[in-house]
Amino acid sequence: MASQATTATLDATGGRDVREIVFWVCAGGIWLLPLMAIDPTTYLVLTVAGFAMGMLLFLSAAGLTIIFGLMDVLNLAHGAFFAWGAYVGFSILNALSGLGWVESATMGQSIVSVLLAMAVALVVGGGLGLILERVIIKQVYGDHLKQILITMGASMVMAEIIKVLWGPNNEVMLVPLAFQGSYDVADVVINKFRVAAIVAGLLVYGGVMLVMLKTKLGIIIRAGVENREVVQTLGYNINRIFTGVFIAGAALAGMGGAMWGMFREQITPAMGDENLIFALIVVIIGGMGSVTGSFLGACMVGLAFNYVAFLMPKLALGVNILIMAIILLIRPWGLLGREQ
Amino acid sequence: MPEPILSLEAVHTHIGQHHILQGVSLAVKPGKPTVLLGRNGAGKSTTLRTVMGLTPASSGSIKVDGLAVEGAKPYEIARAGVGFVPEDQAVIYSLSVEENMRLAMRNETEASHERLDTIFRLFPALRKFWRSKAGVLSGGQKQMLAIARAFVEDHKLLLIDEPSKGLAPIVVDQLIDSLNHIKDQTTVVLVEQNFHMASHVGEDYFILDDGRVVHQGLMDALVADEDLKKKYLGIA
Amino acid sequence: MPAAEFTPVQLQRLREHAGRYSRPSFLIQIALVVCLAAIPLVVPSFRTMDVVAKIMIFAVAVASFDIILGYTGIISFAHGMFFGLGAYSIALVCYHHPAPQYYHLLLAAGLAMVLSTVVAVLVAVFSLRVKAIFFAMMTLAVAEFVHILGYQWSDLTMGEDGVSFKLPGILASTWDGGQFLGTQLNGRLVVYYLILVISVVLFLGVVRFVRSPVGRVLKSVRDNERRSMALGYKVIHYRILSIVFGSVISSLAGALFALWLSYVNPDTVLGTPLMLNMLLMVIIGGLGTVYGGIVGAAFITITETWLPDLLKAGVGLLPPVELLQRLADRWVLFFGLAYVLVVLFFPKGVMGTIRDMVARRAAAREKA
Repeated sequence: MASQATTATLDATGGRDVREIVFWVCAGGIWLLPLMAIDPTTYLVLTVAGFAMGMLLFLSAAGLTIIFGLMDVLNLAHGAFFAWGAYVGFSILNALSGLGWVESATMGQSIVSVLLAMAVALVVGGGLGLILERVIIKQVYGDHLKQILITMGASMVMAEIIKVLWGPNNEVMLVPLAFQGSYDVADVVINKFRVAAIVAGLLVYGGVMLVMLKTKLGIIIRAGVENREVVQTLGYNINRIFTGVFIAGAALAGMGGAMWGMFREQITPAMGDENLIFALIVVIIGGMGSVTGSFLGACMVGLAFNYVAFLMPKLALGVNILIMAIILLIRPWGLLGREQ
Repeated sequence: MPEPILSLEAVHTHIGQHHILQGVSLAVKPGKPTVLLGRNGAGKSTTLRTVMGLTPASSGSIKVDGLAVEGAKPYEIARAGVGFVPEDQAVIYSLSVEENMRLAMRNETEASHERLDTIFRLFPALRKFWRSKAGVLSGGQKQMLAIARAFVEDHKLLLIDEPSKGLAPIVVDQLIDSLNHIKDQTTVVLVEQNFHMASHVGEDYFILDDGRVVHQGLMDALVADEDLKKKYLGIA
Repeated sequence: MPAAEFTPVQLQRLREHAGRYSRPSFLIQIALVVCLAAIPLVVPSFRTMDVVAKIMIFAVAVASFDIILGYTGIISFAHGMFFGLGAYSIALVCYHHPAPQYYHLLLAAGLAMVLSTVVAVLVAVFSLRVKAIFFAMMTLAVAEFVHILGYQWSDLTMGEDGVSFKLPGILASTWDGGQFLGTQLNGRLVVYYLILVISVVLFLGVVRFVRSPVGRVLKSVRDNERRSMALGYKVIHYRILSIVFGSVISSLAGALFALWLSYVNPDTVLGTPLMLNMLLMVIIGGLGTVYGGIVGAAFITITETWLPDLLKAGVGLLPPVELLQRLADRWVLFFGLAYVLVVLFFPKGVMGTIRDMVARRAAAREKA
């Protein structure tokens, strides 16, 4: 009885909006909870780490969410792009290290090294995306089960080829000198590369949003996410746009992988699968087809992971799965997905 | 007789296992607004969608202004000069009215800007809600946006599927007005259940039943023929 | 009094039922079971028995997966988790008792069934609340999480090293029953026959389930959910039933696996490789054809066992380029390729294609 009255009152006073506000306040405020268990300095360090991890997850998730939102394609090989980017970046940095540009590099050399690694990872990721889309994805549009199977197979093949080309062991990623170490800001130790990751993530987010909101291409993509058919009938070759979007998503994932390698200072052949799980969680939390959604979702996942890893390490991944489950139950379209 | 702007010959369409169009043949004269009539499930919408390439024909020939388009992809048919206003969800809700229009204007030319002015005169609400998300428009305004979007590009043929569905009579009258304004600049092919709208816009008609054309002729004749209307359209 | 009128469907079923012992497929099934029983006597090599035992176990697991994926139409990556649940139940119960008895095995099996049912119900209810694609991704994440949990919750699962345990009585690897008709009777042989019997029973259970009225309703739900609901079937109940049944069978298969190896660890029974294997097996066998599970399990297990050797031998014939050596090591790569190729060119799987051919020939004969 009481709940009926509450619902009625809520609906009368623009209830849906009140529920939205409550949701967002909770979603935002929950990140202050860990302060009850962690001292402020550590909290700040973890927050920076969380955002940095989030930014790198965003690079991967952004592509995945647009690919699913626009093309209705579930790409389980997305993690493989990530891994390839990391390994390619690793080789680039090794090569540059031979030139003395990494271990004892100046600021300029460091920046160029990092940018070069990122750029090559971007290109390689995009190239792999092109091959995958043309050869495989094209054949399975419209059938989710087939997409799952075929992209899993492709992912296995790509991971195994990494092992063939680079060997099956974990490798240490060299990080250019200027990005090693940390800043000490009033007793808060902030890892330098984390700052770089956050900056990179924000720039990518800004860039993607600029394209999505201000350019014709962005309008076409946003329209296509909502209604593919209408976009086709307006004279646009949607297939070419699909390919372009797929390539862009793969390229971003590749770049994310290279940065993740520098972030963790280590790369493993299994990092693709690990990233895929995270990216899926981010996409579900953020909402399919929403870039800002995956931005927020990635931040949440990064923060949650870092806070919980500090308090109860074994549950770090579990917490994110819990968040995903809760979102699926109370708000299945995600933070900013379309309400169905 | 002038070359028809749209001609279908023995067009069959299957959707899955269902044989929807079972040999549709019709010809639309350029500049003559044409209406496809018939009861639910007769295949009217499917005919439009087949012309547009959304549900490809299994056999038969389709020509737009002499150009064979059967088997072509929807975007190719659109570029050949065919505009399409689907039955539902024509408008992209998450885009603003402006963005919806920009989406429709593939090449932003002088001519399209002129047509934009015509559109603003016909549908002043669009100018008012220019920057608002299309989702907040009323049903009638959404329909006007959909038609405006199809009209802003120079199309030879405008296929419109049940525009009056779910709209109040006064809004339907506004739609009739606007369609009559644009009918000299493009050929309108209308699918309509609403006979009031059909008879006020169309000059030629085709009645479809069970995936075939069962009757055709001039709209004026149909309006006057009570028996025909009762037999095929259930209108007393 | 008028004779009872049967509908055409009932007539056809009666005809099928009457002839069920004389059809070729039945004879093939009998022959198969006889062969399986004879293997340890004819080819007592450990490797062969190992491969055959694994094929039987996975055939059951995959058949139960087919119920969920092929008949109910639910894409779930959680199936491997149930397999691991069964395996770990047996392993941990036997591990914690220094001298396990037969009833411990029954206890463990019962525990596995109860746990599986509970988790399966949760999974089923969840699957009804979210869209299919989200559900699939969710099960992928959860399965991976359980895998990681297997590593990290060392207090319960003994972590990475896994659990090694003894079996009771005549099942123990140390049991020796002497010679009988020229064959060495030992624990391994007994376990083999135990697995044979239980696998056949479970497999027949799956077949029975699928051919029963419940199975038919599941097929109708898979093909057209709305219509089934309109006909009055409570889709929710059937879905829960099928998921629970399939999952429990899978966990029993996992229990058999533990019995065979006397050893479990997170990678072999909880990992993604297991899940991917099962998925590939069910696809190669053919979705929606329970017997396809046998084909798929056989193909993959045989390949897994002998492909690495085959590759190494093959590469030995080629020039010693390091790249080729590495390629030979990476036989998983060929699995991935198999996935892609099967989905593209052979989506109905072996049994599915055979059934199609048979149906087409029957239809052609009827027309003629």
